[in-house]
Amino acid sequence: MKKITYFPGCSAHGTSKEFDETVKMVMKSLDVQLEEIPDWNCCGATSAHTLSEPLSYALPLRNLVLAEKLDNTTMAIPCASCYQRMKVTKVHLDKNPDLSKDIGTTIVDEGTYQGKIAVKSMLQYCYEDIGLDAIKARVTKSLAGMKLACYYGCLLTRPKAITQFDSPEYPMSMDHIVEALGAKATEFDYKTECCGASFSISNTEVVIRLTGKILEMAKESGAHALVVACPLCQSNLDMRQPQIEKQTGEKYNLPVFYFTQLMALAFGMPEKELMFRKHIVPVEGALAQIGKIEPEPEKVKKPKKAVEAESEAE
Amino acid sequence: MARVGVFVCFCGANIADFVDVPAVVEEAKRIREVKFAIDYKYMCSDPGQQQIRDAIVQHRLTSIVVAACSPRMHEKTFRKALSDAGMNPYLLEVANIREHSSWVHQKDKKAATAKAADLVRMAVAKSIANEQLHEISVPVTKRALVIGGGIAGIQAALDIADARIPVVLVEKSPSIGGKMAQLDETFPTLDCSQCILTPKMVDVASHPYIELIPYAEVLELDGFVGNYKAKIKKKASYVNFKTCTGCGACWQKCPVKVPNEYNMGIDKRKAIYTPFPQAVPNKPVIDARYCTMLTKGKCGICSKVCEKGSIDYKMQDEIIEREIGAVVVATGYDLWDPKPYEEYGVGRFKDIITSLEFERMVSANGPTNGVPVRPSDGKVPKNVVFIKCIGSRDEAKGIEYCSKICCMYTTKHTILLHHKVHGSHSYVFYMDIRAAGKGYEEFVKKAQVDTGATYLRGRVSKIYKKGDKLMVRGEDAQIGQVVEVEADLVVLATAVVPNKDNPDLARLLGVSYDKYGYMSEAHPKLRPVETAKAGIFLAGCTQAPKDIPDTVAQASACAAKVCGIFAGDTMKKDPMISTVNKEFCSGCQNCVTVCPYGAIVTEEVPMGHGSKEMRTVAKINEGVCQGCGSCVAVCRSMAISLAGFTDPQIINEIVSI
Repeated sequence: MKKITYFPGCSAHGTSKEFDETVKMVMKSLDVQLEEIPDWNCCGATSAHTLSEPLSYALPLRNLVLAEKLDNTTMAIPCASCYQRMKVTKVHLDKNPDLSKDIGTTIVDEGTYQGKIAVKSMLQYCYEDIGLDAIKARVTKSLAGMKLACYYGCLLTRPKAITQFDSPEYPMSMDHIVEALGAKATEFDYKTECCGASFSISNTEVVIRLTGKILEMAKESGAHALVVACPLCQSNLDMRQPQIEKQTGEKYNLPVFYFTQLMALAFGMPEKELMFRKHIVPVEGALAQIGKIEPEPEKVKKPKKAVEAESEAE
Repeated sequence: MARVGVFVCFCGANIADFVDVPAVVEEAKRIREVKFAIDYKYMCSDPGQQQIRDAIVQHRLTSIVVAACSPRMHEKTFRKALSDAGMNPYLLEVANIREHSSWVHQKDKKAATAKAADLVRMAVAKSIANEQLHEISVPVTKRALVIGGGIAGIQAALDIADARIPVVLVEKSPSIGGKMAQLDETFPTLDCSQCILTPKMVDVASHPYIELIPYAEVLELDGFVGNYKAKIKKKASYVNFKTCTGCGACWQKCPVKVPNEYNMGIDKRKAIYTPFPQAVPNKPVIDARYCTMLTKGKCGICSKVCEKGSIDYKMQDEIIEREIGAVVVATGYDLWDPKPYEEYGVGRFKDIITSLEFERMVSANGPTNGVPVRPSDGKVPKNVVFIKCIGSRDEAKGIEYCSKICCMYTTKHTILLHHKVHGSHSYVFYMDIRAAGKGYEEFVKKAQVDTGATYLRGRVSKIYKKGDKLMVRGEDAQIGQVVEVEADLVVLATAVVPNKDNPDLARLLGVSYDKYGYMSEAHPKLRPVETAKAGIFLAGCTQAPKDIPDTVAQASACAAKVCGIFAGDTMKKDPMISTVNKEFCSGCQNCVTVCPYGAIVTEEVPMGHGSKEMRTVAKINEGVCQGCGSCVAVCRSMAISLAGFTDPQIINEIVSI
């Protein structure tokens, strides 16, 4: 059994409980033990880094120091924001080791930062450490028939210098994972567009416009549902959907799954435990697609053309 | 007793505004050996030089100090003035009080004046130890090597050959013509590229003074200016050019189809091929990577259909040697690969193409008969978005510099689209329109009016697919808003980058190159075609991105430089070179290691007078030595001396201040 450090973050205990639960289920079935950081604190997003730079490093730093005490080589974080704050701090401190002392002595009183733990998003951990083969091997109920638009949002792969994972503009890791589960990932050009994030509260109009466009493009890609790896993306795309539908007059009907929910589903875990009831947009329509496999259009063999010269000598 | 003359220049206001010139003259007069000192507004002008000539005679001067601009600028001018007055020109010393004082100390006139006086004192002290030196004569092989057969190489070769100097033109691909042969029309006059280029290609092939070696590469270049020896590899073409008539039976029957480089891979060519119908020489070669006879030993059709029996599957690469006096490097450019533009979907969307692909499609001899089509479905596009500066001026993804030609060829492309597709519309996203050149701005203005193209100032941030259209989202900075354009086809003006072989070739030639891979000229303004290595010149995009007019001009300039070297049977060279005192030389060969020009070899001399025992000492090749002084600095036994910079001269300088 593998053991990794787990930082759930605040949304895992509230709005994205289903992410947290399914991560735990999936990891257990993949033989990975999650060791939660004892007495972890807020990562600071997004208030800390908009108000105070030292604080924006100090908060994740305390978590990093605590995480390192657990003696695991890797920490995986489900929430994209938490991951981003932790990784930014790690990269920053690894480059400027003296800063860890400065910040550490003023705010953190838990020990010294060693810089030895790898910080990964849960998506990155599944893709890089567990691997597509292991995921595929664990599938008992293929999701074939489902077409999914994988939405990464802005934080999971950006900026490249910080995340050092996948493409910042057209990532494919989640697409590969859902395809390993048997589903089809659609060609989705809006997979890294901004959803409006926390403006959902302070400037809802912006979120409705941006998220609306994402939904529209996902629908156009032919997807039955969206897949995400970020609590805020999920809440904007799912919770705001009825509101957006009212404004645009379009009916999207796109449930928004966490990728771990779909992993759990494909691993044959009972639907009841996957907390689909927490979703605003009903999931039934999308789940009903499983098993409805369209016959692949037969490839028409082109008659072999006679060899012709493209150009002639003059 | 030395009698030194000092001539201090105002350089208009350049020196005089920041250095008290008369005060410097007064300081000079206080030096014991200075018998004459004077200032003048422009010492380099004829009246200025006349003062020097007169003073030499009147005051019986033994050495001259001119305190003025950098010796790189006017040392030659003043040396000639000395010669004209009957004095050895190497008795001149230049004190650089402009670049080294007035220009860099503009805030402190007093200090600048004191420094100028010091520089003069040093030059005076040095000049006292100056010796009479004489130019060196080196024999010259009157044959030029031109590397690269694009328009730059073609122009240089023709100009040199027209002066009845033999030229060896080496081209790496099967035909000369280069990138220009791929173009349809050329800005700013819309001349047909083929019509102005192919006659020149034919001239090259038929010129009695040009030896054209296609499908070949330069492997080695040894020697020095006037006396190089080049080793050239003729790659195996598997076709005997002497008997081949270019009838075309072989490539018509060849069953192996591969992407056609000439058409940017839009269509296919055969494994035995000529790059394009107007190729020079119009003889096919077999591409050994693809020919199944060469890779698997199966086929042999071309050999069967060739009536002349010209196919020879056993042909080997051949190494030949040529004696060369001067080299013109004209290796051209490559285009930047736009893959890093992931947000545009480059590589995912078939209907995003590069400008050169568009150029091939609109070319009369192109793969689509001159009509642009969408690679995805073959339909003729109506709305075409052109995006400039892809890779250029882009520190994040590409390179920092401006590629110089993209503004103009994109303008040309809007015209070609307008001509070829009725009802079409061009959208151009740009950062700036850089149209500096004769007739360029007028060309852009006229194109904008005639085509009605929509110019949008701003960068494109994203391209996504909607149905079968590409949605291009960018900023229109002039209205401060995000705009989206529905496009059938997107054309990327990708940056000009140096030929990928440049660094290897530069090392082989002993020429320096910059961080991008462009070969470096000796001086950005005053020696733009020379390299730091004597006798090697640069033409076209080998040196920096250039359009055709500039390339041709530079190629002709190279030809003039080459002809200059070949003007006499021998070549004159500055005597400022190193010599080895064999008595002192310990044979450690440190100098051999540090010499950047490979000018130092070793020789065996007797241990002592009449001795049969031999020992190794350093020997300097006069023709190659550039007088940099590196060897002098590393010589532990002080056996090497650099003429014009001898120890007494340097010590005098140091002691004087």
